[in-house]
Amino acid sequence: MELSRRDFIKNLLRLGSGVAVAGALGSLAACAKESKPTLSPSPSPPGPALTQQPTAVPAPLDKTYLAVARGPSPELIVQAAIKALGGMERFVRKGNDVIIKPNICVAYNTYEYAATTNPEVVAALVKLCLAAGARRVRVMDQPFGGTAQQAYERSGIGKAVKEAGGEMEIMSGMKFREVDIPDGRDIKKWSVYADALDTDVLINVPIAKHHNLGRLTLGMKNLMGLIKDRGQFHFNLGQRVADLTSLLRPQLTVVDAVRILTNHGPTGGDLADVKLMNTVIASHDIVAADTYAATLFGLTADDIPIIRAAAPMGIGTTDLKSMKVEEINV
Amino acid sequence: MVTEAAQPEKKTIPKKWRWTRRTVQTLFLLLFLFLLLYTVQGTAGLFPNDLFFHLDPLTAITSMLASRTWIAPMALGIITLVLAVALGRAWCGWVCPMGTALDWTPSRRPHKNPAVSPRWSQVKYFVFFAVIIGAVLGSLTLVILDPITLLFRTIASGILPGLNWAIGGAESWLYGLGALRPALEWADGALRGWLLNSQPFYLPNLALLAFFGAVLGLNAVRSRFWCRYICPLGGLLGLFSKISFIRHKVDGDKCISCRKCAAICPTGAIEPENKFAADAAECTACLNCMEACPTRAISFGRQSKATQPQDTTRRWFLYSLGAAAVMAVFVRFIPAAVKKASASVRPPGSSEASMGDQCIRCGECVRVCPTGVIQPNPAGSPARLWTPVLKTRLGYCDYSCNSCGITCPTGAITELTLEEKRKAVIGVAKIDQTRCITWAEGRDCIVCEEMCPVPEKAIRLGGGGQGHGLGGGRHPQVLEDLCIGCGICEHQCPVAGEAAIRVYPPAA
Repeated sequence: MELSRRDFIKNLLRLGSGVAVAGALGSLAACAKESKPTLSPSPSPPGPALTQQPTAVPAPLDKTYLAVARGPSPELIVQAAIKALGGMERFVRKGNDVIIKPNICVAYNTYEYAATTNPEVVAALVKLCLAAGARRVRVMDQPFGGTAQQAYERSGIGKAVKEAGGEMEIMSGMKFREVDIPDGRDIKKWSVYADALDTDVLINVPIAKHHNLGRLTLGMKNLMGLIKDRGQFHFNLGQRVADLTSLLRPQLTVVDAVRILTNHGPTGGDLADVKLMNTVIASHDIVAADTYAATLFGLTADDIPIIRAAAPMGIGTTDLKSMKVEEINV
Repeated sequence: MVTEAAQPEKKTIPKKWRWTRRTVQTLFLLLFLFLLLYTVQGTAGLFPNDLFFHLDPLTAITSMLASRTWIAPMALGIITLVLAVALGRAWCGWVCPMGTALDWTPSRRPHKNPAVSPRWSQVKYFVFFAVIIGAVLGSLTLVILDPITLLFRTIASGILPGLNWAIGGAESWLYGLGALRPALEWADGALRGWLLNSQPFYLPNLALLAFFGAVLGLNAVRSRFWCRYICPLGGLLGLFSKISFIRHKVDGDKCISCRKCAAICPTGAIEPENKFAADAAECTACLNCMEACPTRAISFGRQSKATQPQDTTRRWFLYSLGAAAVMAVFVRFIPAAVKKASASVRPPGSSEASMGDQCIRCGECVRVCPTGVIQPNPAGSPARLWTPVLKTRLGYCDYSCNSCGITCPTGAITELTLEEKRKAVIGVAKIDQTRCITWAEGRDCIVCEEMCPVPEKAIRLGGGGQGHGLGGGRHPQVLEDLCIGCGICEHQCPVAGEAAIRVYPPAA
């Protein structure tokens, strides 16, 4: 039996050369686009050097430690809260790479259902970062219900971010890296999105919601969108989320409480569970921001297992009385 | 008689027809692949994704016969039948993407073929009648032999998930090395959403790949073995081509009986013993012979009945009918024998009945599903072979998606609005207390409750207030009246191996 090997090889070559040309063009285009010095360092063994963001920026007592802004315009209250903290320039330097992490956990409903972060809040932060000189502002999350493309669209965040000049990134499976968690008490290693570790500034923008196991999902819980194997976190949710926070340490947390979800979280779907609060809470201290946000639900730090676990780890403080809280009405 | 070796005048033969045909074939294959790749969530209505299924008269006839319903878009198949009446099996030589794939597969060189016994080429009529009679009796299982469904299903359920797995793995590995990151990020972004997605590879789909491999592999026996001997669509078009009016013609005055035409014919249609006439039911109008003829004796045009090759097929035609009737008995009795086989979790908007008599096993729903929960059923009744089932450990029915119903070319999965789909009950979740972490190990875990997309939550926590740990020793419980069976709880259950919460078909 004789096959026409020549034809077969010819076909293969034809196909192969097509792919190669496409690939080469792709690389060229990518290189051209990325020819500026990139920020992400070449990979070195995972370790503390890479993983440590500066610990919570210490603020003198006379400076605002936590800002709470209230008003009908999400954009204006974000601007006011950040201004009260000393402006975005305190967090973002010229030329910085910034990642903003909202909560876009499902693609089910629009933002009015309070399962996903308010798009105006996210867009306002993108604009402030760009105004402060950020080189690039990316916004991302890993939805568990529906595709990222669809969740970005339905939440309204995709459109708002693009209009504000930011980029939506579809989180790719290839970019996860297993890293040590030196301060972890329960978990010592986990697979985390590399860009969240390597970026200059990580800004955390959770929406305040009900969550049956954690009581509430706030800033620290929102960081779970940046890891793999999230299901394994639930066996010891409080400590594991606190451990993850000790690794990621976002420089700024802005809790979106324009609308809060009071029941049937984190997915929601019933407007009867949504409460309009017209509030945002901002701080460099994620524990303080979460503690304050809990009070919107009539709860305290002691009620929230994640905050209870984080408080003794030196990640932040739950003592709202010890800090300068600035409340602004816009 | 002049032998091949004595004809060195190859340069004089114009190749323009060959290249025209190859170009047309390539364009149709590219169109087929484009429509397949863009059968993804969110492109509904942007492209005519069902075009090939609607142009295919075999899927049209069988799905309408089996379901006893008029499926309007399927009327497009008439175009293909009209084409067959005009040009014989030109579909096979110029349009069919499966035929093109076979042309591109290495094959035993046509001129090495011995004269083909016309008897074997009758098998496809047998297959065709078996498919039709199966449909009349309400089973579409044999439509798995339709070339369009065969190619689409294999690419959608086997090749693309395999590629996805391989490319994803390669990307992760290369990304770890570091050097190529900008190129990788660009490539990943460019491919994601159409070539790359989150569909996992479902292991039983290896059977689909093996079947497809066998179809290609038969090329080693004869070029286009599948088209000559088996393809039921080829059988249907072959029947129509018997009355086609534009045909292969040989000018007896010019013919020098060099046999070049018979040697180059990819389907063995030319009969040297019959003045090199071509059997219209086998000829795919590829025009290779016309170009190969050193004396330009061959042309394609109106053919008078008198010079047509003698029709030796009537006997076999009747034989096919008889054999098909035997087949029908099988088709009839197999489903009856396995009727007790348990029902499966089916796509929203479908039913066990529509899966049997309306589903053409094309795999469009498999392709469009963003989570990969829809897979061709490898088990259960043969009457439901490769119909879509939901493998809720592998994926989940996305609460914000109604793509499968929009995509289905036959209405086997009816189109539901998102609101309707969210209320469509496709199954019910049940907790296995011997596996559930909260029951069996007394530890915290409420992933299923967290995931449940029903606004009022079909999974609640019960089993007693302040126990231990964060969950307070609470256990998840399913409220079966609220559960829609989407399966995200089973998919996300963190228990290793079989999940501790599993979705079952709704009680009948």
